[in-house]
Amino acid sequence: MIRAENLTKRYGRHVAIDNLTFSTEKGEILGFLGPNGAGKSTTMNIITGYLSASDGKIFVDGLDVLERPEEVKKKIGYLPELPPLYPDMTVIEYLNFVGEIKGTAKADFRSSLEKVLDVVRIGDVRKRLIKNLSKGFKQRVGLAQALIGNPPLLILDEPTIGLDPKEIIEIRNLIKSLGKEHTVVLSSHILPEVSAVCERVLIINRGKIVATDTPKNLSHRLSGKSRLSLRIDGPAREVKSALQAIPGVRDVQVQKSTEESAVDVLLEAEQEKDLRREVFLAMSKAGHPILIMRPMDLSLEDIFLQLTTTEQEVS
Amino acid sequence: MLAIFKRELRAYYQTPSGYIFMSLFLLVGGVLFAFGNLVSLSSQFTGFLGSILFMFLLAVPVLTMRLLTEEMRMRTDQLLLTSPIKITEIVLGKYLAALFVFVVTMAITILYAVVIAIFGDLDTSATIGGYIGFLLVGCSFIAVGIFVSATTENQVVSAIVTFAALLIFWIMDAIQNGVPTDSTSGLVFAAAIAVGVAVWIYFSTKSLYLGGAVVLLGAIIIVLLVLFDNSVFTGFIGNVLAWFSLLKRYQDFTRGLLKLDSVVYYLSFSAFFLFMTIRLIEKRRWS
Repeated sequence: MIRAENLTKRYGRHVAIDNLTFSTEKGEILGFLGPNGAGKSTTMNIITGYLSASDGKIFVDGLDVLERPEEVKKKIGYLPELPPLYPDMTVIEYLNFVGEIKGTAKADFRSSLEKVLDVVRIGDVRKRLIKNLSKGFKQRVGLAQALIGNPPLLILDEPTIGLDPKEIIEIRNLIKSLGKEHTVVLSSHILPEVSAVCERVLIINRGKIVATDTPKNLSHRLSGKSRLSLRIDGPAREVKSALQAIPGVRDVQVQKSTEESAVDVLLEAEQEKDLRREVFLAMSKAGHPILIMRPMDLSLEDIFLQLTTTEQEVS
Repeated sequence: MLAIFKRELRAYYQTPSGYIFMSLFLLVGGVLFAFGNLVSLSSQFTGFLGSILFMFLLAVPVLTMRLLTEEMRMRTDQLLLTSPIKITEIVLGKYLAALFVFVVTMAITILYAVVIAIFGDLDTSATIGGYIGFLLVGCSFIAVGIFVSATTENQVVSAIVTFAALLIFWIMDAIQNGVPTDSTSGLVFAAAIAVGVAVWIYFSTKSLYLGGAVVLLGAIIIVLLVLFDNSVFTGFIGNVLAWFSLLKRYQDFTRGLLKLDSVVYYLSFSAFFLFMTIRLIEKRRWS
């Protein structure tokens, strides 16, 4: 759906995005993840044709954004970081206007309008002036604006920013359901959001892509090894030696536990090895009951910090 | 374009700016008419038109200060520029909306002409000419205003700069009479223009060769003129400034003269500023 080739944007000497190459499939939900100022919004602005890249090309549905801007823009629904609303219009007037400038046919517009109002749940405020709406409702009106005309590609820049937790969950679910019919690209600097909603994540830092994969693979790939966190009832020394005897164990760290007569163990296995069964059997044989066993994947948060901080250290 | 036009027109009457423009214009216009024509029993309607022309200076900035300024400030330009409409349509839609409010306001003042026609002796051709000139000057002023509104995110700045720019066009005649007319100063002025254009081209293209070429070309033209027709430079500054005088040509209309070159002048003046506005918005994408 989107194909970006060597996208670069320079502001004078400052390089906002540096040689980005990525693509999305139809019907995919792709997340841009990165700290503030990483170049997420700039990239989105270039995809939508608001800005032009200093270098590189971008194709939407095989069409060059620069060469056939009108056709490309018809395919995109865009929610910028600040929803582009006219405060002196009512919700319905505003959406009518958006339908008109998007060139949506009258009949299509009328049928889709009710659906859009329903999906983002702003039907009740349709006659109110936008300036009197709460932040959450403004965000929804912005989202409704992006959905008008039912474009196949949705670009949402920080769609849940400034919303309360309940609204955030609603919007996330909404985006997930939109992902069934649309290709969605969203950006966020909030990690759980991206891992909750997106099928694929593109981590951007300082204008460069530092990693791209599914949230699950990313966490797996970067940890590189599987770790188990255990709480075992038994004396530390015995537990440690029994664990070390299991083939495939690389490292065992034993600590005192908060529970009496138990120890907390951090066990590191060799590459990609699942040792849960072996650990269970070994402990059972040694007579030390396992109280807690939990596989430890690096959370997206850990990965994000790892990637973005090492990147900063390099530069 | 129609969508932009309609929204902009609605915005004029959802915010105070449309009302301020109309009331300011009609209030002062009414006072001038009452004292200039009714009380003094004069049927000189072109005089009335000439005096409310000055009102443009104050009223046009009110009309245009919001146009593109507010879009940038509210970031709604992101909506417009990522919609499948052309920048030309956006600018023209807004321009025509401002022009529409202006024309409607002006149309109301035709009532005064009707009053004079009923009770006195109206110079019909001069009045019609005056209104045509009025319309053309309005087109030009609004074009300047929309250009200024594209340069800033602050409405107050937009209004003040527009006012200052229009004021300069207004006093161009006076400036023109005061500048030196000898050929040497004309020569220097021509050289300054050539250098100025070269510097502008250098900064917009970053090409030293292109800038140099313009300087060279300017120098060749100036030298050739000095050698063959030195008289061009006599009064050169004044002639150049006269080109920017919007009012001089207006006088013809109030005499009932419909000069084609004046019409073309005003229309191309407006078109130039609209074109610059479009270019300015387009350029922002690349900066």
